[in-house]
Amino acid sequence: MKTIIKATVLSSVILLSSCATIISGSRQTIEITSEPSTAQVFINEVQVGQTPLQKTLKRNQEYQLTLKLDGYKTYETKLKKKFNAWYIGNILLGGFVGLIIDPITGAMYQLKPEQIDGNLKSGTTYKTEDGNVFIKITMEIDPTMEKVGQLEKL
Amino acid sequence: MLIIVIGITSCGPKITSNFTNPLPKLSIDENVALLDIEHNIPENVVKVGDLRFQDSMLATDCSFNSLMNKARIEARKNGANIVKVIEKKKPDLWSTCYRLKIELYKYDGDVSSLPQYTLKID
Repeated sequence: MKTIIKATVLSSVILLSSCATIISGSRQTIEITSEPSTAQVFINEVQVGQTPLQKTLKRNQEYQLTLKLDGYKTYETKLKKKFNAWYIGNILLGGFVGLIIDPITGAMYQLKPEQIDGNLKSGTTYKTEDGNVFIKITMEIDPTMEKVGQLEKL
Repeated sequence: MLIIVIGITSCGPKITSNFTNPLPKLSIDENVALLDIEHNIPENVVKVGDLRFQDSMLATDCSFNSLMNKARIEARKNGANIVKVIEKKKPDLWSTCYRLKIELYKYDGDVSSLPQYTLKID
């Protein structure tokens, strides 16, 4: 009986010590909204829909995010891999397996919009909640576009 | 252990490039065609350079789609609008990564009309 208990405890420690993988998973939900809405969203140049949009992406990759809307400048940024604090749990709990597993699954990363010199791209705000990222983009009017009219519902 | 962790966390593939004829970079609005092994290069193209993606032993971000996207970024930076895969090794016992040899070309025609690989998001 003692052997079974020991084995259970030992395997729990080993298996449950990939902290970030267990808590965060290898994928992350990204929610993208824009002002105005209905902008076409492209991830790695693949059209994935219109804003508002929710997409689940692998944490171990970086992605190019592009938004296009008539009358507005094309918006471009990158979703970069940042350190996921849950990875530290492996060190605190002494889970050496987790130190290896989390980087392989990508769970040691968190996707966030790119910052250059500590600043987000103009018009970008984001927040993280429950491991998910909510990105809001304010589209910039394209000054080269000229309004020639407007269609109205009859 | 620290060495292993550092090794794994630096998980990108090894990229070797050789640009023999770099051209002015292309904007995001200009299309770049991704040609897989089975797709043919059109006539009258100018070769811009070569790329090689290898496994860096502990790479994890090395799926076919991810590598093709990286190749497209390199192509745009160097003015190429065709990415042509000339050698492709799939993940196997020796590596969990795709390994690719790629040639980059500039084509003056409409690349969107060429038969090509459609990139997917992993």
